[in-house]
Amino acid sequence: MADSLSAECTPLKQKYDSCFNAWFEGYLDPAIANNTSAEERAAYSKMKADEYQAKCGQIWEKYRECVQKAVKKRGLEKLLEQAREEFALKEPPPPPTQFKK
Amino acid sequence: MKFFSQSFLYDDPWSIVSLAFFLRYPNPYASHVVSCDVISRVQTPSGSLVTTRLILKRGALPRWAPQGIISRAESWVLEESEVDPEAKTVRCRTRNLDHVKVMQVEESILFRQTPEGQVFKTLQTTEARIRSGFGWGLTKRIETHGLNRFKANVQRSREGVSLILDLLRQSRLQPMTLGGAEHLSMEAVNRNHAENDGRATSKVGVWTRLKSWIQP
Repeated sequence: MADSLSAECTPLKQKYDSCFNAWFEGYLDPAIANNTSAEERAAYSKMKADEYQAKCGQIWEKYRECVQKAVKKRGLEKLLEQAREEFALKEPPPPPTQFKK
Repeated sequence: MKFFSQSFLYDDPWSIVSLAFFLRYPNPYASHVVSCDVISRVQTPSGSLVTTRLILKRGALPRWAPQGIISRAESWVLEESEVDPEAKTVRCRTRNLDHVKVMQVEESILFRQTPEGQVFKTLQTTEARIRSGFGWGLTKRIETHGLNRFKANVQRSREGVSLILDLLRQSRLQPMTLGGAEHLSMEAVNRNHAENDGRATSKVGVWTRLKSWIQP
């Protein structure tokens, strides 16, 4: 795991990353069949979200606070705000045909 | 403006390639990555995971670059990604936040599951736009330099992901030989979480095992 931008936050970041990565592995391989109904799917993703919150929510808040402080300290706040406004992932993924050789 | 596009097919399924992609820092091919932070992460109502990361990269300037063209050879990079486990896609966009007048590099990566006969593989498509607004007769030269650097970096970045992928694959295929490592990693996890809330990890996943290799 790479370091945080502030040495102070690195231990929190590593704890958070460990927690997230363990959860993420399961998130990527949903334990539901392909033909599951939309409601069941929604219930499953809500369950995964709750699981994340319960497991990593606390450490995430601590880590986020630390990084936010560090971002402010380094004067990056404005740069970030601006960039995120114009840079949000807005468009849907391109149609698959575009990627055929 | 220079445009770059390339596709690459991984033999592994989407979920493991995506995991490797998210775990790619640090790796020996990315020694230029100084820091990497998650600054926001939300799950959308549809179940996708949207993450924004702020990355600090160290760069080297070409010899012909004018003195003082940028104050320091470091650059903040913003990475925005969306993981959709249902559609089995990862979309990721990165771009540099500073020195944008000298050169702006915007990279879009898409990972998606693709059937190849009986098995599922993963197709990665990378696109980049390289733009300089520097002027002084250097715009073209800067853009060409940026493009060449980008091409070389795409290769290195893929080698980095492949390395992590190898580790993940090995740890999934040979759980028996990892008995020792698993034991060690549980100790490491417990140590890590000791001052947190004392809750031991209930399931030792590949990630935990991998971690014990990277951080013995």
